[in-house]
Amino acid sequence: MQTSEQVPVTVLTGFLGAGKTTLLNRILTEHHGRKYAVIVNEFGEQGIDNDLVVDADEEVFEMNNGCICCTVRGDLIRILGGLMKRADQLDAIIVETTGLADPAPVAQTFFVDQDVADRTKLDAIVTVADAVHLNSQLGEHHEAEEQIAFADVVLLNKVDLVDEKGLENVKARIKKINPYAKIIKTTRCAAPLDEILGLNAFSLKRVLEVEPDFLESDHDHDHDDDVTSVSFVSETPLNMDKFQTWFGNLLQTHGQDILRSKGILNFAEKDERYVFQGVHMLMDASPMGPWPKNAERNSRVVFIGRNLENMGLQEGFEGCKS
Amino acid sequence: MNIDLQTKNIVKTKLEQRGNEYKIKAPVTGSVVLNNAVVASFGDGSLLFFGLNQEPFEVKAHKGVILTMSSNGQFVYTGGDDGKFLKISSDGQINEIYNFGSQWVDCVASTENYFACSSGKKAYLWVNDESKPLIMDNSSTVGGLSFDLDGNKLAVSSYGGVTVWQRGDRRWKSSRFVWKGSHGKVTFSPDGKYLVSAMQENEVHGWRIRDKIDLAMAGYPAKIKSFTWAGNTPFLVTSGASEAICWPFDGKEGPLGRKPTCVANGGKQNATFVENLPQENAVFAGFQDGSVVLSEIDETKKSYLIRNATGSEVTAISISNDKSHILIGDAMGNILWSPLWAGDN
Repeated sequence: MQTSEQVPVTVLTGFLGAGKTTLLNRILTEHHGRKYAVIVNEFGEQGIDNDLVVDADEEVFEMNNGCICCTVRGDLIRILGGLMKRADQLDAIIVETTGLADPAPVAQTFFVDQDVADRTKLDAIVTVADAVHLNSQLGEHHEAEEQIAFADVVLLNKVDLVDEKGLENVKARIKKINPYAKIIKTTRCAAPLDEILGLNAFSLKRVLEVEPDFLESDHDHDHDDDVTSVSFVSETPLNMDKFQTWFGNLLQTHGQDILRSKGILNFAEKDERYVFQGVHMLMDASPMGPWPKNAERNSRVVFIGRNLENMGLQEGFEGCKS
Repeated sequence: MNIDLQTKNIVKTKLEQRGNEYKIKAPVTGSVVLNNAVVASFGDGSLLFFGLNQEPFEVKAHKGVILTMSSNGQFVYTGGDDGKFLKISSDGQINEIYNFGSQWVDCVASTENYFACSSGKKAYLWVNDESKPLIMDNSSTVGGLSFDLDGNKLAVSSYGGVTVWQRGDRRWKSSRFVWKGSHGKVTFSPDGKYLVSAMQENEVHGWRIRDKIDLAMAGYPAKIKSFTWAGNTPFLVTSGASEAICWPFDGKEGPLGRKPTCVANGGKQNATFVENLPQENAVFAGFQDGSVVLSEIDETKKSYLIRNATGSEVTAISISNDKSHILIGDAMGNILWSPLWAGDN
């Protein structure tokens, strides 16, 4: 019923020292003629002082709704509600999370709370990564893997401090965890803001536009990453009932391990493309208009998560063919 | 603040014909009754005082959004996103009680002798105008504050339940009422026997204070943003559904095992604000589209559309102490201030 538009919210993650504060200061001080509010966490780096900076506590609430992995950020619901009562309209809101935080509750808040969903929309998850230290951080902290796994954009910072080979290594590692993420190489987070803000990464339309960067599968890599991704393509149309049954069961039984999922589906006897994307157990899906005339009709799905090899994904997906 | 008189082409309700409309350039965040005036708060930090026989006057109180407001009949207490907790008299004089700096003041409550506010995980209670508050720590951010009618108990809600602080001979003692989930707005029943909170989930939760028996009032399609006690029964009237949902709190066990009375149907949309008609078994329900319906709490009676849709959800309804006037406000800054009854002025 609200006539005002939804305000886009960008989630900014990344380990301490990666350069989040540099980026936030840029967003707040550059003369771009826009009004951004920034929600920072209490354990964050110092050095930001502005009327539009709000302190948050990162309070994660379990929803008492029977969904075991459904957690939301209670403080975010409160603060976004307060910001929506301002007399002036904000152009965007940026939520900074601590380096050790799981990005899932933040993303889930936008699926679960109706008031938040009515007035704001999740724009993208941007992860600032330190090109020098990311490799070791990925090995030591599972949160680092999660932040890469959830990211729509990885701002690979401090690239001036690594050589070409090191850079290629770290890029390959990111792509292996998350083939969907767009990698922007920067020094001092000097990327154009329009490559970070206003991306609409969570809209279903956007799923159609971004092609995942499929890597040749290589099995002789050095790292034993916990979080990985798998993708499937099918030229054979899928059976809608079979897919819904399989996918519903999959999210119910393995939703905790599936961090993000996206896909474009070609169902037999349906003229329209179906698009979905999910965060853990929560999913958004919708028909997205007819297939373009000259485009191939095929189904493509991507899962990012852990223990993906134990979910029978390949068999399950094959079993949905009509 | 700019105040413009509005013009509309739709058929006006009687209330709209009698009253004055104002368009404020900030969302209405709340309203309270103060003596014979009604005070509305806004997202730009200002208050508007609506008196019976005068033009409304403005008080610029906060630098940012007024997030919360309470009245004890003598003063208005406000909390804002500028970190200030203020006490404001009926002639608009501002007294700063506390400044929390960059922390928001999320909740306030007041009685004749005490007033309280919360900022982050702490609740602050001032007794008999002493300058230093008592500080009550919580494990998570305070979602709601409420005194009972006697003013001797203070309920502080948060994640996982509600803590009730009771004034003892020497100090305030606490008792915890536990229920899984996150608790927001909280209230005591008028007789002080029950405690009720609105949850992050689409339900209200109640406890009988004597033995902490749980009363789960669920099944709502939306979050409950507003509730009020109405009638002699009394009923706990709640928003969050396409009708005002009224739970009976008479008898020994209140609503336990009983069905609510559902009145004031708003069609395919949900109520966002409810307010009682003082001393009557009747309730006003405001909806997502800005319309307001008045109904007796009786499913056999007809209900009345008293305010047309404005296009924005109802965020405030207050009835003046003498029941002569009503104020209705919405999230786009539309205000209707009108004599409640024909013939009055």
